[in-house]
Amino acid sequence: MAQPLVKKDDDRDDEAEYSPFLGIEKGAVLQEARVFNDPQLDSRRCSQVITKLLYLLNQGETFTKVEATEVFFSVTKLFQSRDIGLRRMVYLIIKELSPSADEVIIVTSSLMKDMNSKTDMYRANAIRVLCRITDGTLLTQIERYLKQAIVDKNPVVASAALVSGIHLLQTNPEIVKRWSNEVQEAVQSRAALVQFHALALLHQIRQNDRLAVSKLVTSLTRGTARSPLAQCLLIRYTSQVIRESAGNAQMGDRPFYDYLEGCLRHKAEMVIFEAARAITELHGVTTRELTPAITVLQLFLSSSKPVLRFAAVRTLNKVAMTHPMAVTNCNIDMESLISDQNRSIATLAITTLLKTGNESSVDRLMKQITNFMSDIADEFKIVVVEAIRSLCLKFPLKYRALMNFLSNILREEGGFEYKKAIVDSIVILIRDIPDAKESGLLHLCEFIEDCEFTYLSTQILHFLGIEGPKTSDPSKYIRYIYNRVHLENATVRASAVSTLAKFGALVDSLKPRVFILLRRCLFDSDDEVRDRATLYLNTLGGDGSVVETDSDVKDFLFGSLDVPLVNLETCLKNYEASEEPFDINSVPKEIKSQPLAEKKAQSKKPTGLGAPPSAPVSTVDAYEKLLSSIPEFSNFGKLFKSSAPVELTEPETEYAVNVVKHIFDSHVVFQYNCTNTIPEQLLENVIVAVDASEAEEFSEVASKPLASLPYDTPGQTFLAFERPEGVPAVGKFSNTLRFIVKEVDPTTGEAEEDGVEDEYQLEDLEVVPADYILKVPVFNFRNAWESMGPDFERIDEYGLGQRESLTEAVNTVINLLGLQPCEGTEVLASNSRSHTCLLSGVYIGNVKVLVRLSFGIDSSREVAMKLAVRSEDEAVSDAIHEIVGSG
Amino acid sequence: MGLWEAFLNWLRSLFFKQEMELSLIGLQNAGKTSLVNVIATGGYSEDMIPTVGFNMRKVTKGNVTIKLWDLGGQPRFRSMWERYCRAVSSIVYVVDAADYDNLSVSRRELHDLLSKPSLNGIPLLVLGNKIDKKEALSKQDLTEEMDLKSITDREVCCFMISCKNSTNIDTVIDWLVKHSKSKN
Repeated sequence: MAQPLVKKDDDRDDEAEYSPFLGIEKGAVLQEARVFNDPQLDSRRCSQVITKLLYLLNQGETFTKVEATEVFFSVTKLFQSRDIGLRRMVYLIIKELSPSADEVIIVTSSLMKDMNSKTDMYRANAIRVLCRITDGTLLTQIERYLKQAIVDKNPVVASAALVSGIHLLQTNPEIVKRWSNEVQEAVQSRAALVQFHALALLHQIRQNDRLAVSKLVTSLTRGTARSPLAQCLLIRYTSQVIRESAGNAQMGDRPFYDYLEGCLRHKAEMVIFEAARAITELHGVTTRELTPAITVLQLFLSSSKPVLRFAAVRTLNKVAMTHPMAVTNCNIDMESLISDQNRSIATLAITTLLKTGNESSVDRLMKQITNFMSDIADEFKIVVVEAIRSLCLKFPLKYRALMNFLSNILREEGGFEYKKAIVDSIVILIRDIPDAKESGLLHLCEFIEDCEFTYLSTQILHFLGIEGPKTSDPSKYIRYIYNRVHLENATVRASAVSTLAKFGALVDSLKPRVFILLRRCLFDSDDEVRDRATLYLNTLGGDGSVVETDSDVKDFLFGSLDVPLVNLETCLKNYEASEEPFDINSVPKEIKSQPLAEKKAQSKKPTGLGAPPSAPVSTVDAYEKLLSSIPEFSNFGKLFKSSAPVELTEPETEYAVNVVKHIFDSHVVFQYNCTNTIPEQLLENVIVAVDASEAEEFSEVASKPLASLPYDTPGQTFLAFERPEGVPAVGKFSNTLRFIVKEVDPTTGEAEEDGVEDEYQLEDLEVVPADYILKVPVFNFRNAWESMGPDFERIDEYGLGQRESLTEAVNTVINLLGLQPCEGTEVLASNSRSHTCLLSGVYIGNVKVLVRLSFGIDSSREVAMKLAVRSEDEAVSDAIHEIVGSG
Repeated sequence: MGLWEAFLNWLRSLFFKQEMELSLIGLQNAGKTSLVNVIATGGYSEDMIPTVGFNMRKVTKGNVTIKLWDLGGQPRFRSMWERYCRAVSSIVYVVDAADYDNLSVSRRELHDLLSKPSLNGIPLLVLGNKIDKKEALSKQDLTEEMDLKSITDREVCCFMISCKNSTNIDTVIDWLVKHSKSKN
């Protein structure tokens, strides 16, 4: 509680010998608690029992409702004692027991008395307990006392009230906000703790008002914060203000930087560290700004306190990710930390060094790491493995040393996550460093000879099947693979069979031997293994049947599944066994995602009015069903794509309308989802009148009005246009909602006979090139890119002009093209100067498109982009360039 | 040594044997907290705030120390009365003798409480307060209204008092002191 507890002795061994808590047992303690009811109270005894109860509660012991109630009421009887120590324990146990609201109220009167008592300790603690158990109505009754307590001259009392304020702000913000003046006064307090708590509360009260926070920081950074803790808070708030004002401030002249830098010379270590960390985390920090912070962190590295060493190395580790050069000065200090007793410090030091080290230091580092790996936990090892992986990608020439290291640790003991990290790293190295391929594959082969993890074995076998046949001597892998068929469980055996088949398909010289092995697999005890063997023998012609063409076989074995697995799963579930075989082409390729409009509608719903679900149907299947049920549109063919709903009205207007664009081979259908938000109106004969003068290639062919649109019930009206087949025509449409409006009596809900014709202007709608592109992901972009071939590749460079940031530029281009970003490349590191983004999709006419975008940004924030397109059709590749060129 | 021991026992008996514990209950606004104040300090105040929970007071009268549990009378506290009445020397039940509307509620709450087995045999003192008001009931009427005659399993006593004018307060204290000894 409020008074500082006696510091525990550092020497824990002694303490363990006579721990006062040995053998405490709930039942016995509850029995002992009867002393609370004795007519002659023994305060010492009672304190001991409460201590035991608190110990039990803190050990996670739970009391039943009856037990807790019984203990609580007995405890309330202890208010008769005047023993100060016992009273403190009573406060504590009331808070810990936290009995139900209707019971705890019984102590209110006693606490209010204590809150106004002459004993400061009573006052402080009673405030804390009272604020914990209070509700809104009681709070208004005691508010007066709390305000007084905030400015009390006793720091313990003031802090108690301030901390209670911080808690109460969550439940009763409007009351706590009235205390601003008192809190402000407390910020000026001479007591360190009061200043700290007051600053925290003041900031929380104002945190939603950016200007007020900025003012607070401005006035306090002039130097009134004496308490180091308050100073630390202030540094955090300052960095927050800097972050938020970064948008409009000029580069180079950063507000408050001088303050942060000044804090680096503060006498309290925690302030120095906080300031250094704040500087390293500044958005777009320059080397000049960084230097003083790095210097103090470097000093901390050789501190005698482990916590300082840890804090410094952890911060430097983060800095090394973005500014490796700035950290190199500390390398010597960090190398000595590798042998630090604290393994967390050592791990961080090593991974930082790996990030900042240069090519020449790699060998030396690896030597040190090898000694150190054996005595750290798995999760630290994973961190090290990941650091080594990125190091290897940075210095490909060093792959031999690093690969050897990885294979060595792969042989040692370790858990699944650790082994997986190593295997993943080796796989990545094999993929990115061609020289490393052969040795890497052999390491993996050795690993699966003695691998206890089915998942890893199957992954490696799959990988071997793709990479192995392309090596100089594929036959040497066969033994490792076939060993699996003898030694492993069914899952691994099945993947081994698939891998064998891949070798057979790609390497003609091995084919006969593979057939022999596959035939042996036909006698396996597991169904799946036998099935696979039969299938592959069939497709490869091993059983003497007619062999399918070579390319078909390869496509079957190596081609990736071009439909999302989720969609395939739903389709298979819906498939009913019949004469007609399942057709994989019937599986939709679009990734299902909840349209934005629907989410918005849900969030609006509780307000009662607003636009109710504007898109009653959200998935492509549902759209398709809806459209094919309308006879006018039934002959348009197969639906290619439906766009996400586009809002044509502002939110909270009389009529909410959004539109979904449905693209067919030679038609476009606009589906207008309309909602009437006026309870006194009924709309009839609703149709959208479209002026297509800015969309010359489109001609209106059909429309389907909405007969009636009552209040708060969404309805749809449709409009169909014809456009030249296969041409991705674009254009702009201006829309007007036309309808007959009838007054409705809100009490009876009946509409009047006569209506008035009226119209309502909607926003314009555009058909853009992205509407003709389906987002279809590929799962291995590199493979897909290579198998597409450079026949129809088109490369060009574009200047995108000045941009806010690289992220913004990347997102703009992605949205413009409407393609699916692959392999997470739409996410950028926060301040990278260049980025490569991979996109894929299907263009109208079912033409696959792959795009590789390379971005670069220079110091004046000019963005340049290189766009490389590969597709199955020359015209499509050009069309993609045209989109960017005109957008 | 034996003599010293005996002397100590005598001393203890002086200070501790004469201690008693009371719980003070009754509907809200009956005058419980006022009664405590009158007994403790002799002071009386017109505007009192309702007791939220309980007040614990220790009062020394002569060589008797009285622990008073003054409990809130609002409905939400009534279920908790019983917990503070267990093992007390006597239960003091305060009734507003001038508030006819609530007499039946008061009677029901009293009889509910006394039916609890944990309170068997504890002496009961019923106090009709506010006799300074002219519409206040007589002792006889109150005994009737509260149906005190039906309580046979314990000692029951009834006094008419006024906290405002300190009427009969001494009688009450005398009764209480007398019962402190009988308990031990």
